[in-house]
Amino acid sequence: MIRFILADLNRFKAGAFAVVILIALSVALSVTVTLQERAVRLGSARAAEKFDLLVGAAGSETQLALSAEFLQPSPLPLMSGRVLAKLSVDPRVDFAAPVGFGDYADGHPVVGTTSKLIAALSPALAQGAAFASLGDAVIGADVPKRIGAEIKPMHGGAEEGGHTHTEIVYTVTGRMAPTGTAWDRAILVPIRAVWQLHGMSSYDAHDHGDETHGSVEPEGHEHKAHVSVDAAIDEHFDVETPGIPAVLVKPKTIADAYRLRQEYRGEATLAVFPAEVLTRLYATLGDARGLLLAIAIGTQIIVIAAVLLVTIMHVSARQRQIGALRAFGAPRRAVVAIVWGELFLLFLAGFAAGLVIGYGTAHLISATLTATIAIRMPVEFAREDLSLAFWFVGLAVLVSILPALSTLRLSPARALRS
Amino acid sequence: MLALDISGLEMRFPGLDTPVLSLPRLHLPAGRQLAVTGASGSGKSTLVNAITGLETATSGSVSWGETNISALPTGRRDAFRATHIGLVMQDFHLFSGLSAFENVMLPARLSRRLTPAARERALHLLETTGIARPHQNIETLSRGEMQRVAVARALLSKPGVIVADEPTASLDRRTGEDVSELIVRLARQEGATLVVVTHDLALMERLDRRIALDGGRIVEDSAEVRAA
Ligand SMILES: Nc1ncnc2c1ncn2[C@@H]1O[C@H](COP(=O)(O)OP(=O)(O)OP(=O)(O)O)[C@@H](O)[C@H]1O
Ligand SMILES: [Mg+2]
Repeated sequence: MIRFILADLNRFKAGAFAVVILIALSVALSVTVTLQERAVRLGSARAAEKFDLLVGAAGSETQLALSAEFLQPSPLPLMSGRVLAKLSVDPRVDFAAPVGFGDYADGHPVVGTTSKLIAALSPALAQGAAFASLGDAVIGADVPKRIGAEIKPMHGGAEEGGHTHTEIVYTVTGRMAPTGTAWDRAILVPIRAVWQLHGMSSYDAHDHGDETHGSVEPEGHEHKAHVSVDAAIDEHFDVETPGIPAVLVKPKTIADAYRLRQEYRGEATLAVFPAEVLTRLYATLGDARGLLLAIAIGTQIIVIAAVLLVTIMHVSARQRQIGALRAFGAPRRAVVAIVWGELFLLFLAGFAAGLVIGYGTAHLISATLTATIAIRMPVEFAREDLSLAFWFVGLAVLVSILPALSTLRLSPARALRS
Repeated sequence: MLALDISGLEMRFPGLDTPVLSLPRLHLPAGRQLAVTGASGSGKSTLVNAITGLETATSGSVSWGETNISALPTGRRDAFRATHIGLVMQDFHLFSGLSAFENVMLPARLSRRLTPAARERALHLLETTGIARPHQNIETLSRGEMQRVAVARALLSKPGVIVADEPTASLDRRTGEDVSELIVRLARQEGATLVVVTHDLALMERLDRRIALDGGRIVEDSAEVRAA
């Protein structure tokens, strides 16, 4: 039986191949959409896991979460450095780390922060040591620089026409272990170095109240600050602390997290759970996925209709052969099984190829995304995919049984005459 | 070895006023050989279809031995044909992509009647019909060889009846003669009743009896001529 089916498929190689490709592509489309949506969701959820609470100046929650979680360049308003001072000594806070954005080096964001954040991101460094003086830098796992390399920060991305800071050259002292987050692409430097570089000594709420300049940046560019690269870092923040776009906060308990969020939601500041913001984003993502999946299923229906048409034509073209099988003693069930088996085999082959193509495509997309935003997006199958697969196989059984059953009504005598 | 009994057989097709075949009575004793001739369209193939159960009789009955095949449901009729009737057609109906041996075995394999004895018999039959390489791909055989393979296939299930519809019509004269000789010899050897539709005089002469059809009726019967 199998031998006969294979010999038969071999005779219609080109057609069989076309049918398999058609099915494979339509399956691949659904597989890619499903896997990719999941990859983005899982990847960003893992990236958001690291911190529980974000505090920033009043403004857009989504922008705050995206900038601080994914280190996407976007103009964040500054808030008073007093917020950081207060959070640093708050007994409910495990640690509070400032983040200052705005500078880049070779396309990598240079983020001013404290050694506490480094300890949180990478409890043990992969190489070297955390920063000890203002001219030190710790790089993420994906930054292609060696220990001891020099980093010349630029204000703003090169494509935005930024200028190079000539006042300072950082030296790489350590490399973090991979975290699977955007921080893998970041260059971490002492926040005080960033402040000095931008000529900021203290924050004055009246002067900067409505500034949304995107970074720690005083008015104008007239800073000729001097940064002493050998000065030891100082990670104690008092009321004199300059302005910062955001503080990453690790509360001690869940109750503390909710209390802190409540407290820092006000006129001047904003506190968000990144996970919450992401959940809202996923709702949108989910809608997009629903739409894409509907399109994918639509194409699948068209493909199945096309395959059905092809096979019904194929069966009528094979009447002679089928009639002969019956005439020479093959029982009807054997003929049905042959036609059905052939079709089902094509469906399965298409399905398998589609899975492979879809999986590969999702991997490719994820790899591209990871290369640009450094968030690892795991492409993986999940339990719920099984039901989709069962649906497909069930449909394949049904669709392939139709032409097979149509052979039952075939008169062998008439088939032999044609 | 089965005897053929036809009584009151009529084959009609929708859209045709007159029956394509009308045989009030025909008896062929078991083990005998019958040649059927007649002009094109006279109903010869229709007769073959009726006696092999490929087509249902409009009315009347066709019996092989004790079995009235016109009363059997399709599935049982197919099974009866598979076990008792060996078919040889004008255009061989072999399946490409398979070897000669696989073609001989295919009907048995598909109806799960496959036994080691059947394998032996298939190889033996291919040898008797003069196929030197049983595992040669069927498409590469000559037409004469193809028809020999078809003859071997017809004989695999040790049928009591062999029915052939113009088995030599698509072969040249020499090859046709060889195949005719083979069919008649093997039918005798196996003790099978033989019905052959043919225009081939040489083949007709080898057989016991000859009927001629015209317009679906028997217009000439060598048995009656002899009796008269
Ligand atoms: N399914 C059918 N529907 C309508 N008419 C049919 C059908 N099958 C056969 N006929 C008609 O029955 C007549 C006899 O056909 P048949 O095939 O038996 O002739 P034949 O004697 O075998 O001819 P040939 O020598 O050309 O093979 C023809 O006129 C044919 O058109
Ligand atoms: Mg005919």
